[in-house]
Amino acid sequence: MSNKLLLGVGGVAAVLALALAGILLVVASGGDDGDKSADGGGKTPSASQTEDGGDDTPAGESELRIRGADPLFLDPAVAQDADSAFYIVEIFSGLVRLDTDLKVQPDLAERWDVSTDGTVYTFYLDHDATFQDGRPVLASDIKYSMERALNPETGSIVAENFLGDIVGARDVARGRADEVSGIKVIADDKVEITIDAPKQYFLFKLTYPTGFVVDEKQITANPRRWTLKPNGTGPYKLKEWKLNERIVLEAFERHHLGAPKLQTVRVELAGGSALVAYEDGDIDATGVGLDDLARVQSPDDPLNKEYRKVEKLSLSYVGFNTNAPPFDDPKVRQAFALSVDRKKIAEVILKDAVPVATGILVPGVPGYNADDKTYAYDPDRAKQLLAESKYADNLPEITLAESGAGASVGPTTEAIVQYWKDNLGVEVKIQQAETGTFYSDIDEGRYQMFELGWIMDYPDPENILDVLFHSKSRQNNARYNNPEVDAKLEQARTETDTEKRLALYREVEKTLIDDVAWMPLYFDTTHALVKPYVKDYPIPAAVVERFRDVAIDR
Amino acid sequence: MSMAATTAGFEAPSAGAARGESLTRRAMRRLLRKKVAVLCLVVIAVFYAAGALAPWVAPYGYAEQNLDVSFQGPSWDHPFGTDRNGRDMLSRSMFAARTTVVVTLATVATGGILLPLTLGMLAGYKGGWADSIIMRAGEVLASMPGLPMLILISATMRPKFVGWVEDAEGWIGWGGLTGSGFADYFLIFFVLSLFGWVGGARLIRTQVLTLRGSEYVLAAEAAGASTAGILFRHLLPNIMPLVIVGASASLGAIAGTEIALTFLGVGIQPPQPSFGALITDGASRTVLENHPQLLLVPASIVASLIFAFNLLGDALNDVFTPRAQ
Amino acid sequence: MEGLAGYVIRRLLFLPLTLLIVSFATFYITRWGPGDPVSVYSGQYRDEEAFDRVRHKYGLDKPIIQQYGIYMERLLLHGDLGVSFRYRDREIPEVIGPKIWVSVRLGLYAFIITFAVGIPVGVFAAIKQGTWLDPLLISVFLFFQSVPSLVTVPMLVLLFAVKLDWLPAGGVDGIFSKSMVIPTLALSLPGIAGVARLARATTLGTLHEDFVRTARAKGLAERDVIGRHVARNSLVPVMTTVIGLSLVGLIEGAFFTETLLGIPGIGRFVFESVNGRDYNVILAIVLLITTAFVLANLVVDLALIVIDPRVRAQRMLSR
Repeated sequence: MSNKLLLGVGGVAAVLALALAGILLVVASGGDDGDKSADGGGKTPSASQTEDGGDDTPAGESELRIRGADPLFLDPAVAQDADSAFYIVEIFSGLVRLDTDLKVQPDLAERWDVSTDGTVYTFYLDHDATFQDGRPVLASDIKYSMERALNPETGSIVAENFLGDIVGARDVARGRADEVSGIKVIADDKVEITIDAPKQYFLFKLTYPTGFVVDEKQITANPRRWTLKPNGTGPYKLKEWKLNERIVLEAFERHHLGAPKLQTVRVELAGGSALVAYEDGDIDATGVGLDDLARVQSPDDPLNKEYRKVEKLSLSYVGFNTNAPPFDDPKVRQAFALSVDRKKIAEVILKDAVPVATGILVPGVPGYNADDKTYAYDPDRAKQLLAESKYADNLPEITLAESGAGASVGPTTEAIVQYWKDNLGVEVKIQQAETGTFYSDIDEGRYQMFELGWIMDYPDPENILDVLFHSKSRQNNARYNNPEVDAKLEQARTETDTEKRLALYREVEKTLIDDVAWMPLYFDTTHALVKPYVKDYPIPAAVVERFRDVAIDR
Repeated sequence: MSMAATTAGFEAPSAGAARGESLTRRAMRRLLRKKVAVLCLVVIAVFYAAGALAPWVAPYGYAEQNLDVSFQGPSWDHPFGTDRNGRDMLSRSMFAARTTVVVTLATVATGGILLPLTLGMLAGYKGGWADSIIMRAGEVLASMPGLPMLILISATMRPKFVGWVEDAEGWIGWGGLTGSGFADYFLIFFVLSLFGWVGGARLIRTQVLTLRGSEYVLAAEAAGASTAGILFRHLLPNIMPLVIVGASASLGAIAGTEIALTFLGVGIQPPQPSFGALITDGASRTVLENHPQLLLVPASIVASLIFAFNLLGDALNDVFTPRAQ
Repeated sequence: MEGLAGYVIRRLLFLPLTLLIVSFATFYITRWGPGDPVSVYSGQYRDEEAFDRVRHKYGLDKPIIQQYGIYMERLLLHGDLGVSFRYRDREIPEVIGPKIWVSVRLGLYAFIITFAVGIPVGVFAAIKQGTWLDPLLISVFLFFQSVPSLVTVPMLVLLFAVKLDWLPAGGVDGIFSKSMVIPTLALSLPGIAGVARLARATTLGTLHEDFVRTARAKGLAERDVIGRHVARNSLVPVMTTVIGLSLVGLIEGAFFTETLLGIPGIGRFVFESVNGRDYNVILAIVLLITTAFVLANLVVDLALIVIDPRVRAQRMLSR
């Protein structure tokens, strides 16, 4: 009897399997039609004019189609990952914004005054500024948004970092007060913000999403899930967000700075090779990975005409823990820096995708200049320095930590380590640290040295030199402690004369390089392809609002 | 792929087989008469020899780079070519084999033989609460999704684990352990063993259950033999064939899992070479397009090793269970 | 067969206990290790004081046992799986749902192919026993069963995407696109081999059964003998057994296939979630897979028990 039962079950399963196989077949043959263009991939980019199957909206005059990453969540006060910020800067906005050249521009505030002592900012709101539901933006919205960001209940880690200069902000962040005393609503269209010292970079900090305006009504009504349909003040509305599939941004026509030219921005969050999709005409712009770089850089390739590259506001480096042996001796650090041929690594392994870092200040930051201030490859001098160091005969075991998951360390890391072995005779181990613990281990000084990058949030030297090298800074991962540098950094914070201020930063940079707190490796670069019919497509060096002025002109 | 294979590899030989020693010896003779099996043994032997002897016979060090010969095709100097950093692929493959050798042997010794044998025999012979505990624990372990748990344990335990080994080093004054990747090896085979013993233990237990009632065990008991004596003198020889078949089957699975874990970044850490790392390096798009040998070399080595293990497992199964098929 | 129902019930009753143990183990292991979602998400912004405030907000500063109690209470009383720490404004089913759908779709295709190809090949090999075709087919399939998907996937990419340029090398564009071919193949090849070997063995067994001999003796055409008698009697058990086994294989194969091909499925997501220490998401996925495993194993066991009286006796005895 049980055999019969089994037969029955098996029979049903077989029928089911057959039915599914049938569906699969039908579907597979249907799929062939839809994918016609994939066949011609690479050879006939012009074939892309044939309609994409299924989609009714023509890739019309005003839709931009790109590939993107899935954001985690779209709360400007809390989000701090680049993937989320990419969308947040389009949907939300603050008093001021960074344009695509990373200059501070008016946004919700049409203008502002700064008191003579540089500590009181008075912002005059744009009378046309409204939320996307039409409600005008008032000074009280500014106050609410910033206080909400600082409130511990909101759960923001960065709020204190970006708004902490405002008088009374830290009290709110630590739960000692509900209101920020330094933010005063003067009138519906006028808000006054007092900071603790004249800091030139304060406006830059306000361009970061933490201080962006959010809609109190919406948040009170739906505290958990309002970000799925946010009522922002930016030039684009979030029209659709299908997790892992796509995000569609739609123009906010009544935006106070004028209606965006693009009607929609369609960001595909999944899919195969972006380059293939680009060649097939399924997307209008794409980044180019290292693997495809040689091809698009070759003048013979048809794609070469559409290729653009822009240096980003970030760099990679090897950081030394200046407290831990043997890197507490500057001579050892120097020896390590001089014994690596970064140019050769860039050429052979990175195919010259990125330029060798010439200093700590990256291109695009005031105070940067193109002269190479770093270390020329000099193995002999390196050997000599190591011999002169106090660890000449008793070098401890050394480990280089690198964040990342995956079997293979970056080929550059392996190359660097091998240079140390060849030139200094030092066997350096690589520890590939799990992302879950990498940063906290750096915090705790558990690594002797580490390979890392720094992405600047705004183009001011403070955001790299002060944040990473002041002895009191929490981000000082090299544990660098130099009273002279501290003094100059503190002076530069409040120096109002721009030239003097930059001069101070240049001095600090020089000291840091001579002292080898870091060994800067490469300046990051974006490589991109943009279709010729996409006009004014900016490739900004940092995550800023970018689609407003793009136009499609076929 | 891994766990399923481990259990599937075991196939109980017909119960109540005659005296174990002679059976094992007879089976071995029969095995050597099979050409395929001999070929497999040769492949496996070559692999293990290459791995074990890598430090002495490999033409280059595994990390020795020469940026001037980046991405070279096969030549007399570099029979398998070189990788992006200009490192000799032959040498890297040999050192990767060494990793596989260490991990498979250590894991099979603990998770493939020691644990299943002890726990299986204990559960089968003792019965009662020991049986319940062991078998229930095994059941829970077997119903956990192996790979996600392995990833989880390796990711969260590695830092603590390396810390312990470092402490232990300082304590016994025997430096260089963490540096040599010992901690990684140890963690990997610990984790693999944790999930690997269940299938084997179950089969051994079943076998012991059958044997326990057999006349000669009863006779031995009546003659006043000790538990240990019965276990080792009377039961063990009869279980050996099962253990051999099982161990050889799980070797392939363990090798595969180690490579897989390393690929996911939770196994052997660079610069210790491993096939997982070599395959990852070889699988990137540019490399595939321009230097496919960088994938083909490690891929074919891994494929033939695991294939050989499985063929051998089949052959062993045949010779130990001489039922006509 | 009286014991069968009791056995099934006992096994099913064991499921909640298993889930309880697994959930506690997972809960403990994730939180015990160094690193937590707050610290990971904040990347290079290091501010321990701010971290502690956020940890407090999410109750991560409580002892693990207490956190587990709170979690279980919410889960059991409200069916609440907790929040995702990475996708902070999403419910957990919302986050893992689409990922599971991607993987299930792939798995379903692979599953169908596995049987559609495996069974005929196995039966064919059995019929051809004694000719050169049988060992050839079997070793080819044993080979595919041996090769880890970690090797299969790049090799398929090399062949179909790079050398022949027929198929895309990664991602999934849509349900019915060519990009599904490589992952489906990679996932089904080992399964096909398993099914084929099992189908061959079972067919061989049935070929010598009495009723087949009778059918032959009655003068039935060989094709009818195979089709009607052998196939039906040998394939049904194969199907049931392998459904369970391939589920296990599929889940594990999915990790590599998805990671290598950049497919946003649940396999790759587990890995991302572990790295991001997204505790509740990890737990939800592990519990889900465990349930699937237990049920799959139960199906396999039942099939074996029904097919083979010896197994029946053993299992009844042992549990």
